[in-house]
Amino acid sequence: MPEKGKIDTKQAIMLSICLILPTAMLSVPAVIIRHARQDAWISLILSIFIGLLVARLIVSLSFRFPDKTLFQYSEEILGRVPGKIVGLLYLWWVLHSNAIAIDEFASLPCVALMPDTPFVAFFIIAIVVAGYAVRNGLEVLSRYIELITPIGLGLMVSLFCLLTTKVKFERLLPVFDKGLVSIVKGAAMPSGWMGEIVLFSMFIPYLNKPREACRVAVLSILIIGIFMVSVTVGILLVFGPDVSSSWIFPVFMAIRAISIANFLERVESVVIGIWVFMGFAKIGVLYYAAVLGSAQWLGLKDYRPLVAPVGIVLLGLAFLCPNIIDLLDFLARAFPPYALIVFELGIPLILLGASLIRGRRGESS
Amino acid sequence: MVGLGKAIKRLLRRGVKDGQSDNPIKKFRGTILSSSSVDVPLSSDLETNLQRLKSIFDKCSDVVFREFVFAQNEQVKLALIYIDGMVDKVQVSDQIMRALALEVAMATGGQKITKAHALEFIRERGLCINQISETGKTQDVIHAILSGDTVLLVDGHTTAIINGVRGWEARAITESQAESTVRGPRESFVETLRVNTSLIRRKIKSPALKIETLRLGEVTDTDVAIAYVESIANEKVVAEVKTRLKKIRVDGILESGYIEELIEDNPWSFFPTVNATERPDRVAGMLLEGRVAILVDGTPFVMTVPSLFVEYLQSPEDYYERFLFVSAVRLIRLLSLVLSLVLPGLYIAIVSFHHELLPTALLLSVAAQREGVPYPVLVEMLVMEVLFEVLREAGLRLPRPLGQAISIVGALVIGEAAVRAGLVAAATVIVVALTGIGSFVLSYRVSIAFRLLRFVLILLSAALGLMGLTSGMAVIMIHLCTLRSFGIPYLSPMIPLTTTDLKDVVVRAPWWAMFTRPRLIAGRRQTRLEPGLKPASPEARPKVEG
Repeated sequence: MPEKGKIDTKQAIMLSICLILPTAMLSVPAVIIRHARQDAWISLILSIFIGLLVARLIVSLSFRFPDKTLFQYSEEILGRVPGKIVGLLYLWWVLHSNAIAIDEFASLPCVALMPDTPFVAFFIIAIVVAGYAVRNGLEVLSRYIELITPIGLGLMVSLFCLLTTKVKFERLLPVFDKGLVSIVKGAAMPSGWMGEIVLFSMFIPYLNKPREACRVAVLSILIIGIFMVSVTVGILLVFGPDVSSSWIFPVFMAIRAISIANFLERVESVVIGIWVFMGFAKIGVLYYAAVLGSAQWLGLKDYRPLVAPVGIVLLGLAFLCPNIIDLLDFLARAFPPYALIVFELGIPLILLGASLIRGRRGESS
Repeated sequence: MVGLGKAIKRLLRRGVKDGQSDNPIKKFRGTILSSSSVDVPLSSDLETNLQRLKSIFDKCSDVVFREFVFAQNEQVKLALIYIDGMVDKVQVSDQIMRALALEVAMATGGQKITKAHALEFIRERGLCINQISETGKTQDVIHAILSGDTVLLVDGHTTAIINGVRGWEARAITESQAESTVRGPRESFVETLRVNTSLIRRKIKSPALKIETLRLGEVTDTDVAIAYVESIANEKVVAEVKTRLKKIRVDGILESGYIEELIEDNPWSFFPTVNATERPDRVAGMLLEGRVAILVDGTPFVMTVPSLFVEYLQSPEDYYERFLFVSAVRLIRLLSLVLSLVLPGLYIAIVSFHHELLPTALLLSVAAQREGVPYPVLVEMLVMEVLFEVLREAGLRLPRPLGQAISIVGALVIGEAAVRAGLVAAATVIVVALTGIGSFVLSYRVSIAFRLLRFVLILLSAALGLMGLTSGMAVIMIHLCTLRSFGIPYLSPMIPLTTTDLKDVVVRAPWWAMFTRPRLIAGRRQTRLEPGLKPASPEARPKVEG
């Protein structure tokens, strides 16, 4: 096994949260609101169910192969060559998702803080910092996440509490205005996002209590879901659907609107801090999954030599997307079928089906 | 390029080979004492022994050889060997020389003692010394002499008597210089190992307090003691400390800092993973939490391991003052920790990149101050920070009476005059001063780390603004997550989270709620106090029947 460290249940929950939430926090609400308008929160609740489905799927796969990650059991189930092909596909997907995360990570400071700085500076920073954590292993990465997540989420929640002066509940009305179709459309992107929990299967073998994997996956999806729903509802209550869907980062703009007693103003810098710290966490988790996955795919004993090469590949992939508008367009249109149907539901379902038919089980048989 | 690589490889390989061919340690040991003269047992002939010792202590003018005869039998020759200045001279002349050369005769009424029984008689009745031991090895004799003991050789016997009459000029126990408190014991450690162990023993009067000693340093032969409370300390940590100490092979140990750098988990880190203190009460508190103390002869600084990050936010006084106040003070310390690390970077980032983050009135005032300043804010900040460090260092190194002058020069010339001359903005001076004061609040050892890292953050913020500042902080956080001290994660009990241990991190729980010891540090015995000790007035107390 390339990784010797173990993580506990608490760390695993925060790790799964950081797998999804950090970059989703700011940009996803806008996309949902564009489709579902004031019913965005219903879309999000729908997506929670999709997330739970994916979580259940990969946990049951992992329970059949307790000590193996996605890359290892796909070979076991499908045989060597098809397994390697599936592994390669996942490798691409992890790298691509990470490149998307890096793009998003870079876009907020670029849009909000330093418009003249080239993207590549932020790419390099993100990859170097996350790579430093990845090189130090899973334990260090999860400790960093354990340090950052409660602070980040706590600050976010308290900032939203400061917005209560501007709330108008009428902005959520009328419910079901645009009908079920647009709600489902709005649910597509966050579902693709929630489905990234599929990568949690890379970490299940390293839980110190593997039996709690299911609890971890479900709890983290629920926490992410509740957080996203409250953020989205918060934006809607403050700005209403028209204004908030026109922004790229509606959460950031909402926080920017905080002004209490002419003193508590300009707190959006705190959001940037949270964004950067948690962005490193998300990029780190995906980076780690990519590095560990490629080490397992290549059959290496140690994943550390791969940190630098994978980082360079990530840097290249991050250039795929020219700007944030295109990125959001891609995420809204192409990402759901690409990620959700193929990698988050399709392949895991095939793997589970095949393993059921072939009757191969891990230790439990 | 390929040729260069090969050349480097060849060089490296040669280095390895050279290292193998003559082991530097072996060679080095041979130069100290040729083992042939040391590894022999004592001879029964006094002359031979003296000859050998004299040749070993050749040209050591401070070693005294005093030969005399035993009062009971003039055929029994005796010799005392000691180092002038390291023994209690009164004891040596009164209790050893006088006793053996004169008074024994009176006590036994002139009865003759045969040469064969001389040693036994001297040991049982002749010496008026409370602490003696015997040895037959030349090695031990040499070590005893060098440690300040007085060795008595008796003609016709292969055993030497070592008299514990050490006595040298030592510094008195004074108030702690490095860690001062308002409330709490005033004493601090001194340079003598035995005094230091007694200071700890006086606080922990239990046979469970074990003090094991070993000697380190090929030339200095320094006594090092490992202290721990047997039933509380984690045996794994104790064993690890012992193995790490036993591995040490150096010529000399002059301060505990030598050992610290040789036993650390992360030698390249800025952060200390071994704590050092000169307060016995602090060491006793650490021992009771299950830590291991390492005492080194010749220094008042005692090391304790495992040492966690939170220790540097704590002060011994925290446990003597009222807990609510202490918890508030700890919050202040946390704040100053963050300030001392982040403030200069944040200032640079805001002034040079993110003006919009300041309220307009403040922004205008800062901009007005910076109007006439000739340099960019980075240069200004770096110059001021370096100047501050220079002043601080000068204040430390100068003789104490001159320290006042430094503070006047620092405050007036640098602060006031530089601003008036328009060389720096007043805001920069305020930031530098705040940062400096903030770092003084912290424990000195960890503030050094933050002082250095501050410069890194200044450069990063100047390059990339808030983004650089936050990424620098993220790297520091990740680095802190990688650290361990004797196997215990450095950031515990926060990361990984141990909820029960949070009672002594940012807040200090009152003593009646300190039920357990730190879980990761203490071994088996976790319970610290009986539940139900919370004081209450007699009316509120539940009635006890009968």
